[in-house]
Amino acid sequence: MSLLDVQNVTMEFGGLLALDNVDMSIERGELVSLIGPNGAGKSTLINVITGMLDPTEGSVIYDGENVVGKQPYEITQLGLGRSFQTAEIFPELTVRENVNVASFLTEHGSFSLNFFRRRDGYGEVRERTEEVLETLDLVDDADLPAKSLPYGDTRRLEVAVGMATDPELMFMDEPTAGMSPAETDMTTDLIKTMQNELGITILLVEHDMDVVFDVSDRIVTLHQGNIIAKGTPEEIQGDPKVRSAYLGGGGG
Amino acid sequence: MSTDLDFGDEPLLSWDRWDRMKNSELFIFFAAGAFAVLFPWLFIRAPITGDIFTGYGSLAKTILIWSIFAVGFNLLLGETGLLSFGHAAFYGVAGYGAGWVAIYSYGHPLLMIVVGVIMGAVFSMLVAPILLRLHTVYFAIVSLAIAQTLFWLAREPFNQWTGGENGLTRMEVKPLFGDVTPADQLPDVLGTLMGSWMYLLIAVFFVITIVAVHRVKKSPYGLIFKAIRENETRSAFIGMDVWRYKFASFVMSATIAGLAGALLTVDKAFVGIRRLWWSASGDVVVMTVIGGLRTLFGPVAGAIVYQWFGGVVDGYPQIGQYWLLILAAVFTGIVWWYPDGIWGLFSQIGDFLRSLGGDNE
Repeated sequence: MSLLDVQNVTMEFGGLLALDNVDMSIERGELVSLIGPNGAGKSTLINVITGMLDPTEGSVIYDGENVVGKQPYEITQLGLGRSFQTAEIFPELTVRENVNVASFLTEHGSFSLNFFRRRDGYGEVRERTEEVLETLDLVDDADLPAKSLPYGDTRRLEVAVGMATDPELMFMDEPTAGMSPAETDMTTDLIKTMQNELGITILLVEHDMDVVFDVSDRIVTLHQGNIIAKGTPEEIQGDPKVRSAYLGGGGG
Repeated sequence: MSTDLDFGDEPLLSWDRWDRMKNSELFIFFAAGAFAVLFPWLFIRAPITGDIFTGYGSLAKTILIWSIFAVGFNLLLGETGLLSFGHAAFYGVAGYGAGWVAIYSYGHPLLMIVVGVIMGAVFSMLVAPILLRLHTVYFAIVSLAIAQTLFWLAREPFNQWTGGENGLTRMEVKPLFGDVTPADQLPDVLGTLMGSWMYLLIAVFFVITIVAVHRVKKSPYGLIFKAIRENETRSAFIGMDVWRYKFASFVMSATIAGLAGALLTVDKAFVGIRRLWWSASGDVVVMTVIGGLRTLFGPVAGAIVYQWFGGVVDGYPQIGQYWLLILAAVFTGIVWWYPDGIWGLFSQIGDFLRSLGGDNE
């Protein structure tokens, strides 16, 4: 059974068809990239899966459970992590606190935290935080306020916060946007580590085709709300429909 | 071999030690206790402060009550980032609750406080489902509207229970124990320092409030509140049921506001309708912001400054009538130069002195 199964998802915004009967699935351990020109519906699809939007029609089955209609926090607790395109972090908190708050919610769900107990008494939470900080090479900056980090490090923190939720499936929305070539290489390595060493299934939305073709097991191409091609990087690279979508065949 | 072994190379007095100590619960407890014990004497009677700082006895109680109110309010505004402009509602409801106990049941001070606090807390739970759906300025305006609605209800339709414009009178506050009433003087040196039993009662609840709020801030909730303040969307996507924690913060804050309201009723044996008026909500905002958002003791400093202006400067010849104008100027100045308020100013001075003292190893 697939880890994630998106079935016949249609999303309409007042007559505008953003997603038209979209079907896709992700197997455990896979890295699937979602590509497509601007306005193709990538963000809408991610927002539907993570619970920010309820689809007009269709269902999203995660690990055998339909998650349509659930709140984002419930979906996150099921094991769907997310890192955002714009760095959605907690700017005034330190780097460590940023990760820590996610660790708390992960280790304790929403219900077993005590508002009268000191938070440094939660050993397993601290361990999880330190582990994530180490994986993402943020230990040296751990006590700095998050807002003082340079851009590339902020994006890494963004991923760290998502990782601290202990995702089985992680959505990464343009993790290399605005990065220098060196930072992009680092991020590519990180994505490979996450998949191969940490066993995380990844859905990647990315515009940098070098990154996409480097890391993906499979690629799904969206265009004007429709899936126009699915396949391995080699298949997609040669696909005439994908070429025309990117080179101005449809949307311009 | 030597006792130094316990501390390693660290001397007994060092900044590191201080930094660790100042955040310990025991230290907070003693600091709050020492402040509460010494404050009235320093404020009212100490020979060194001279005439210009001299307040009067009842003002010390008022300041401590407003300090409790503002410390609780800051848990919502400073930590969680929600600006309520209607906290007078919880302050007022608890105040009336305490009064009703004394009139219709039995006016033991502790019973009045317990019932008042519960009423304030329950009322906050009732309005939370409406208020917590709203954000920023909408949250502020609707909270204001709820408090104002209570004011108008208390003034006319329900005046047979609230006493309307005349306030709630005819209550008798019974002795705390034996034949000691809250208004009695404390014995010996305690009396010189703190005055009445009523002050001591307020001081005890003040210390409890400070320690409790400090504890919440150091708990997982403290971190979660800050996360909500910083980025509510992201909070949901790390698996946080944001509503639940906002609710917790809101009810905690309202409960503490209720404690302040109930204490005031015990102190005055009277509940005036102006406690529900919007200016009470505004006062607590000003005190908190002057004192220092996100700090534990800042709101206390804010309450002192605000009440001192209103209660003492107000009585000065010539400038007295301009106290509100002077306060406004002070407020603007502080917020302009020190966004962290008076407490932020104190910490800056502290850091400066520390750098002079050669803490640069």
